[in-house]
Amino acid sequence: MNRAAFAEFAGRFAESWVAVASLVVTVLFLACALFAPWLSPTNPYDLARLQLIDALKPMGSPQVKPGEEIRANFALTQGQLIPEANATDFEVEACGANCFIVGLADSSAPLMSLQLRGLARDAIVDGASKHPIQPWWTLNAPENNQGKVSFETAPADARVEAIARTDNQPTGFIFQLGSDAFGRDMLSAILYGIRISVFVGVAAAGSAMLFGTGLGLLAAWRGGATDAMIMRAVDFTLSFPAILVGLAILAILGSGVEKVILAVVLVQWCYYARTARSLALSELNKEYIEAARGMRLPAWRIMLRHVLPNCLPQIIVLFTLNIASAISLESSLSFLGVGLPLTQPSLGMLIANGYEYIFSQKYWISFGPGIVLLIMIVAMNLLGDRLRDLNNPRFES
Amino acid sequence: MQVVQTVFQADEVSRVFEPARGTIEKLTDRLTGKRPAIVQAVDRVSLSVAQGETLGIVGESGCGKSTLARMITGILPVSGGTRRFRNEDYDSFLARRRDALKVQMVFQDPMSSLNGRLKVGEIIGEGAVVHGIVPRSRMREHAAKMLERVGLAADSIDRYPHQFSGGQRQRIGIARALAVEPELLVCDEAVAALDVSVQAQIINLLMDIRQESGLSMIFISHDLGLIRHLCDRVAVMYLGRVVELAKTSELFANPVHPYTQMLLAGMPRISTERRTFMPIKGEIPSPLNPPSGCHFHPRCDRATDHCRISRPDLREKVPGHLHACLNA
Repeated sequence: MNRAAFAEFAGRFAESWVAVASLVVTVLFLACALFAPWLSPTNPYDLARLQLIDALKPMGSPQVKPGEEIRANFALTQGQLIPEANATDFEVEACGANCFIVGLADSSAPLMSLQLRGLARDAIVDGASKHPIQPWWTLNAPENNQGKVSFETAPADARVEAIARTDNQPTGFIFQLGSDAFGRDMLSAILYGIRISVFVGVAAAGSAMLFGTGLGLLAAWRGGATDAMIMRAVDFTLSFPAILVGLAILAILGSGVEKVILAVVLVQWCYYARTARSLALSELNKEYIEAARGMRLPAWRIMLRHVLPNCLPQIIVLFTLNIASAISLESSLSFLGVGLPLTQPSLGMLIANGYEYIFSQKYWISFGPGIVLLIMIVAMNLLGDRLRDLNNPRFES
Repeated sequence: MQVVQTVFQADEVSRVFEPARGTIEKLTDRLTGKRPAIVQAVDRVSLSVAQGETLGIVGESGCGKSTLARMITGILPVSGGTRRFRNEDYDSFLARRRDALKVQMVFQDPMSSLNGRLKVGEIIGEGAVVHGIVPRSRMREHAAKMLERVGLAADSIDRYPHQFSGGQRQRIGIARALAVEPELLVCDEAVAALDVSVQAQIINLLMDIRQESGLSMIFISHDLGLIRHLCDRVAVMYLGRVVELAKTSELFANPVHPYTQMLLAGMPRISTERRTFMPIKGEIPSPLNPPSGCHFHPRCDRATDHCRISRPDLREKVPGHLHACLNA
């Protein structure tokens, strides 16, 4: 297409603001796919960085760093609580007979909990909850980072351990779209999910286009038995629901990106074959093809240089529409659990992951990827529709 | 007597078209014994073109002119009969692809006969480059030369066909044919789609080219005036058959076949006298179900019972004047 024709085409395209908006959205999504590693705040594939403490956080929650544990040992001998060598952070203060206050020397950062272990059964720790079996007393958010231990009578000798747990510290990172059950940032997971979905969609629809268009051109050129065989194969493929073919293939081959692509190709090639054949048949009737034959050009040259470029606009429209349907097929397969591996989730896989939490009010795991998938597929379909309308010579707005 | 070399010769060539049928239709037809309706587009036509000669083929639409043209250029195979190029069997001639370029065609529709996706330079130069007549590096130069030969600016090579008018596009079509140095040019209604003023330009161009290069031409038209102006000999076709073949002057002066006579009577001419216009009665019959015997008998006022039964063969009335009428 030359410059003037392209300008005219672009002008007609821009007449519809819906089409322009969907083009912008589609380009944005393609940019997300391309630049996901630079755009996303975290790398969701880095399993080492996941921590369970971040799991299932709602939208806007801060990420936290788990608090530290400070352990210290004391010897309880003859009514005296004597710190051992590792207890430098702790202070022990007597508060009358058989009474001690154990606490962290530095009380500026409030503790999450203070646990005392190894006390005798008759010990009383103010405000503490006792472990039902173990001789453990736990103080949640102790006042002044201290705990008061007292005994009715003089305590027997024992070895006491104190475990001070500092509070979780916010890291400054916010889970804008919440986090999933693995503590993965949903925003990053969605960006990477778009990347995978778009890659699978484009690669699958592209391979299907090459394969299907090739077969369609072959059928149109050869005619007769070749044509009949290819077209019956098309009818055969079309008679199965796409999702069923995909499920069957992935059930046989197992999951994986290349297998999903293969499944989509096997579902979609027939649309291209049918379209390419009918377009090529109408092109082959035109006089410029007779002129090419009169020039004794080789068959492949006539098909590839004369017929194919004249069929290409419609095939590209089909390609645009089929990317969207490839993405939704891949998402469906992933949702059903046969698509992509769990460690590299596509949008469908993310939706599936959140599905089990929907009824426990943790809607955000499925919600984000679902909305994103919806917008992406609607935008691509609108774009493809517009391109198809523009390609139809009978279309007048 | 001067020996004139025959460039192309067709001997009783026929072309049958069958309707496209699927496997199941073929099977049921075979089981029920039904024979598919076939179209005999061209029925045992014999003609020849000599070196430097222009042969006109004239006839109504649907009489098989274009099919004949495509068989002459080798775009369509024949269903029967033989073709020869310079006395060589046509199939072996076509097999040598580069030599087979010596028969070229100019098409009727200047809109659809050029590939709109290719630049003009590519359209003209492609054949010559693919067959090694000029190297790829000199394609543009070659195309520009051809464009100048047909009266277009050399810088048109970088433009696309839709940027040209109908007459200019037809010139591009002619340049494409000339680019591979043909010896026989088949013009299939090459000017029918053009305005009359543009027609004249194209006809003049074709005559100039013929004079310069001495190539033989087959000029197919339904315009008797053009044929008379351009051709050395004329074949008149009716429903797939040649009914009369003679030198132009002889044919226009002494038409023998009633069909030719009626065609010539219907030809518009500039004259002051009032004359009655006599259309040929009846419609052209369907080629799916042609009349028996002489195809023309239902419309002929001289038809006898004999005409309804036997097929007339071409015969010579005076030397060089062939006709296919049983009553002449």
